[in-house]
Amino acid sequence: MEPKPPEFGRFAEPSLLILTSLSDGPKHGYAIMQDVEQGTGRPMGAGTLYAALVRLEEQGLVEPLTPVDRRRPYRLTAIGASNLAEQLRGLSDFALQGLRQLGETQP
Amino acid sequence: MRSLLIRCYPARWRARYGDEFEAILVERPLGPFDIADILLGALDAQLRLRGRRATTEHERGFTMTLRIGGFAAILGAALLTTSIVLGIGVVGSVEPVVPGILLAVGSLALLVALTGLSAFQARVHPILSWAGVAVTALGAIVAIVGIVGIVGMQLFRDGYWNVMTMGVTATFVGSTLFAIATYRTAALSRGAALLLGVASVMTIVAGFGLGPIPLGVTSIAFALGWFVLGIHAVRVDRPATA
Repeated sequence: MEPKPPEFGRFAEPSLLILTSLSDGPKHGYAIMQDVEQGTGRPMGAGTLYAALVRLEEQGLVEPLTPVDRRRPYRLTAIGASNLAEQLRGLSDFALQGLRQLGETQP
Repeated sequence: MRSLLIRCYPARWRARYGDEFEAILVERPLGPFDIADILLGALDAQLRLRGRRATTEHERGFTMTLRIGGFAAILGAALLTTSIVLGIGVVGSVEPVVPGILLAVGSLALLVALTGLSAFQARVHPILSWAGVAVTALGAIVAIVGIVGIVGMQLFRDGYWNVMTMGVTATFVGSTLFAIATYRTAALSRGAALLLGVASVMTIVAGFGLGPIPLGVTSIAFALGWFVLGIHAVRVDRPATA
């Protein structure tokens, strides 16, 4: 039986953004916030960041590393990477379908 | 301001994330958006930790063993009583195999009940609780060996009878240990635990020559003790306390 995919409720979007931010290497909280803001054009608050980060850590999708000057970096686990790839593939399929419906893709 | 906002989070959360969270807040000036976001995050952490305390997997597991144990105790007690009533011929003659089967299934159900309820109580008195399970399980195995020997062997039937008696006695000793653990834990009815303990001891005594009527009476009291404990276990949904 396949494991049930983790559910993050209203923190699903922040969780996806955090996983994406960590996909190119470990980052501490503030670096993740900057990365997300740069990528989406919208700021992510510290409260939202940690609410999502706690859930990701509990689900084993990210893991904490040793803190440096009180800043604790987090990195993607193997399960986290696989979960992220699955979510991105789903979004990509969804986007392609939408574009096809709009007639904006080549046959 | 920063420390005030962090203090809105639960102590357990602060112990794990407080330092790194504060380091982030130091990095940039706090605007109204940040303050509102942190307060919502603190509310989320408070609700999550509170909800988790109430329904952890651990607690759910114990509640499940309590319920399974309770239902098994009720079933086992009912089958045991029916077997005794049929066995002594109160409701007319029946095939001897019928009370025998009811006794076997009832005993199995009581073994499940003993294991389930002991798993629940073992948090408070682990050695006593699991000793009760071990002695009863060992007694049941020995009794089965004895019964198989009596039914299947032509020779040494007296020897197998003694083996079966030893096994059955051990199961009542195990039930007595369970009753003591239940009484001391006080998570279930102490009255029922007392009844079960006294009935177990009296059944052992009655089994050594007091005749079928006292044995029947003590066995029904034994079943009644299990029945009441089963009802309590199904109704009571709370953790054990010392």
